[in-house]
Amino acid sequence: MTLTRTELEEAARKAFEGALAEDRWSMIADMGLLMAAVPDARGGLGLGGEAVGAIHVELGRALVSGPAIAQMMAIEALAGSDAPAELLDRAMAGDVMTASLAADGTLTCVPDADRASHMLVAEPGRVALVPLDGATITPRETWDRTRRLFDVAPSDDRIVLAEGSAADALAERIERLMLLALAGDSLGGADAILTLTIDYLKTRRQFDRPLALFQALKHRVADMKTQLAAADALFRARAAGQASLVEIGALKAHATTVYRAIAEEAVQLHGGIGLTMEHHCHLFLKRATLNAALGGDADRREAAAGREKLARAFA
Amino acid sequence: MDKGTEPLESLRREVRDWLEANAPKDWRAACTGHAAFLDTQRGWFAKLAEGGYAVPHWPAEWPGGGRTLAEQKVIYEELARADTPRLLLSFMSTYHAASTLFEWGSAAQQAHYIPRILQGEIWCQGFSEPNAGSDLAALRCRAERRGDVYVVNGQKLWSTMGQFADKCLLLVRTSSEGAKQAGLTYLLLDLKAKGVTVRPIHQIHGDEEFAEVFLDDVEVPVADRLGEEGQGWAVAQSTLSSERGLTLMELSARMRGSQWRIADLIRASGREEDAGVLRDFGRLATKIDAAVAIADQFLANRIAGEERVGDASLVKLTYSRTLRAFTDLGVRLGGIGAQYHEPIVFGGGMETGNWMADFMNSYAWTIAGGSDEVQRNIIAERLLGMPREPKGWTVGAAA
Ligand SMILES: Cc1cc2nc3c(=O)[nH]c(=O)nc-3n(C[C@H](O)[C@H](O)[C@H](O)COP(=O)(O)OP(=O)(O)OC[C@H]3O[C@@H](n4cnc5c(N)ncnc54)[C@H](O)[C@@H]3O)c2cc1C
Repeated sequence: MTLTRTELEEAARKAFEGALAEDRWSMIADMGLLMAAVPDARGGLGLGGEAVGAIHVELGRALVSGPAIAQMMAIEALAGSDAPAELLDRAMAGDVMTASLAADGTLTCVPDADRASHMLVAEPGRVALVPLDGATITPRETWDRTRRLFDVAPSDDRIVLAEGSAADALAERIERLMLLALAGDSLGGADAILTLTIDYLKTRRQFDRPLALFQALKHRVADMKTQLAAADALFRARAAGQASLVEIGALKAHATTVYRAIAEEAVQLHGGIGLTMEHHCHLFLKRATLNAALGGDADRREAAAGREKLARAFA
Repeated sequence: MDKGTEPLESLRREVRDWLEANAPKDWRAACTGHAAFLDTQRGWFAKLAEGGYAVPHWPAEWPGGGRTLAEQKVIYEELARADTPRLLLSFMSTYHAASTLFEWGSAAQQAHYIPRILQGEIWCQGFSEPNAGSDLAALRCRAERRGDVYVVNGQKLWSTMGQFADKCLLLVRTSSEGAKQAGLTYLLLDLKAKGVTVRPIHQIHGDEEFAEVFLDDVEVPVADRLGEEGQGWAVAQSTLSSERGLTLMELSARMRGSQWRIADLIRASGREEDAGVLRDFGRLATKIDAAVAIADQFLANRIAGEERVGDASLVKLTYSRTLRAFTDLGVRLGGIGAQYHEPIVFGGGMETGNWMADFMNSYAWTIAGGSDEVQRNIIAERLLGMPREPKGWTVGAAA
């Protein structure tokens, strides 16, 4: 394959443009987005971890629903182990295989478990794929309606992908991917709702002028843009570089915090209309708060970053 | 205990005893729909009115009124502590409508409307329109005088409780001459009148607390005008000042009475020793006390006749930011649990412990009643004397 990351990004953006919060699962699979990070040798596009982040920026921008983050975690695990090629091929083709987006080791926050054939389970010293045939799957309705989360109590069947230290290394790669994906999703969403808000301020008129003419509001959107631009730069730097897992966690915390702040401001700047179901503001606000809670919240991730920085400062 | 606080403590005991016997129980579980909400609210308001605790902020000549500020605060704190329903349904009646009637109503209007409020008549506020939000004076809903009636045509938006209300504080345009403010008139509209259509609006936290009101050749008797024709803007300031200042004594007292919800969360998530969380809780608790204190001070100044233009905005902005901080901390500490959808409790108040819903509902105070940005403008321009933004911008002028 010769597709570049930029081409993939542009294709994804075009593909999801125009509609918000739709399930585009077959399109995601058909475009090869799920296999972007998988090495050529294993049948993927070989674009590496950075491409994953870029894809999720586009999915987040359009609030695309579905289990793409969890699916890519499962694919990362399959590609990083000697699992049967058949399982990996199925997953890359879109056969739903999911994973938990909780960071506390519980089998909660599992996207689309009701339509998944397998679920990835990472335990200390073991990473396994679990068929969901015999599992108990309980829907947990979230405020964010663009995601469908479940609690899962799986059966005892396990397809072991890695054990011991190899499992721990694999688990770390999976967690890293989840954090990068959540960060990307958040930055894409933040960019989209900021753009919509700026458009709204340009068209909504009060006091015989567009709201955009008030400097108080211009400064607010300028602040949002600045926060977003810096977070985006950090995202690119950390996704490409040698950041530690803790630093990727702090990146996720930062990106979701920025998303939340921008989505919150967007509602405020829309005034009353932003508080109605008829308008799209709330979709972003709800996805932003869910993203902040998934994958370990900012309190936890930032405390870990502080601890790591402190240890390094005295090392 | 000093002499000053003793009568307050005895009032506190009296209210507490009364609440023990009379406060509704298990209403939170019941209020999952509008029917139960209306029953609960109506029943509880009637009880409170009978007990003499429904309108402690009213003047002494009306039953239940004439309480000192300190007494009012004790009553509100005890109402919150006993976890009684917040009187959302009668909020506009006992505050906005009553305050405006006390200030502008004729003796006949007061004698007619005030007792009905105590009997449970529900009012809503019909100020905003699709193109008149922050710029309220731009409103276009038109009233034309024909003999002893005004004939009203237009649309109102965001009327809280509009779909359940009997009456509406209606701000209309009677003239397009001169300044926008000069052409406004204040009417008391019967929502059961011919030509009125009310349509509820679905909100992001799941309730339909506000509504659109369509007025099609609706007749309002001239006798139901408050103030003179063309004086509507001044009358409306009374309504807004009551919304921005007076109501916040009760609401900030309730917020203070609800801090245990955050404490509960800290304990439930095992973070009693987490210095970051304790600091944030301490900071919030201090902000809440400041919100109570400034509401207090505002009312004291008001009673002493020393209210300045813009004072109410200080109170409202303090409250809205504090409520945001409160519900934000709840969402944060609630973690993933707060992201799972819980149906809201209708009339549950601003702090129900359903954190995402509370958080979204907190925008009611940062947008309604004049947004935070509008309050900031008022503080900067009216209180601090900074120059106003130039008026009358046009496309040509900007080029
Ligand atoms: C929960 C709720 C209940 C309500 N209840 C009622 C009610 O009972 N009766 C009623 O009449 N109305 C009610 N309202 C309407 C409320 O008063 C308006 O929503 C509010 O005044 C804002 O107007 P808008 O929604 O048109 O926003 P806009 O005026 O369009 O404002 C959009 C954004 O621009 C900002 N902005 C506007 N002008 C300026 C400026 N000059 N400088 C800086 N920033 C500015 C605003 O702060 C806001 O962030 C309610 C609203 C809400 C949300």
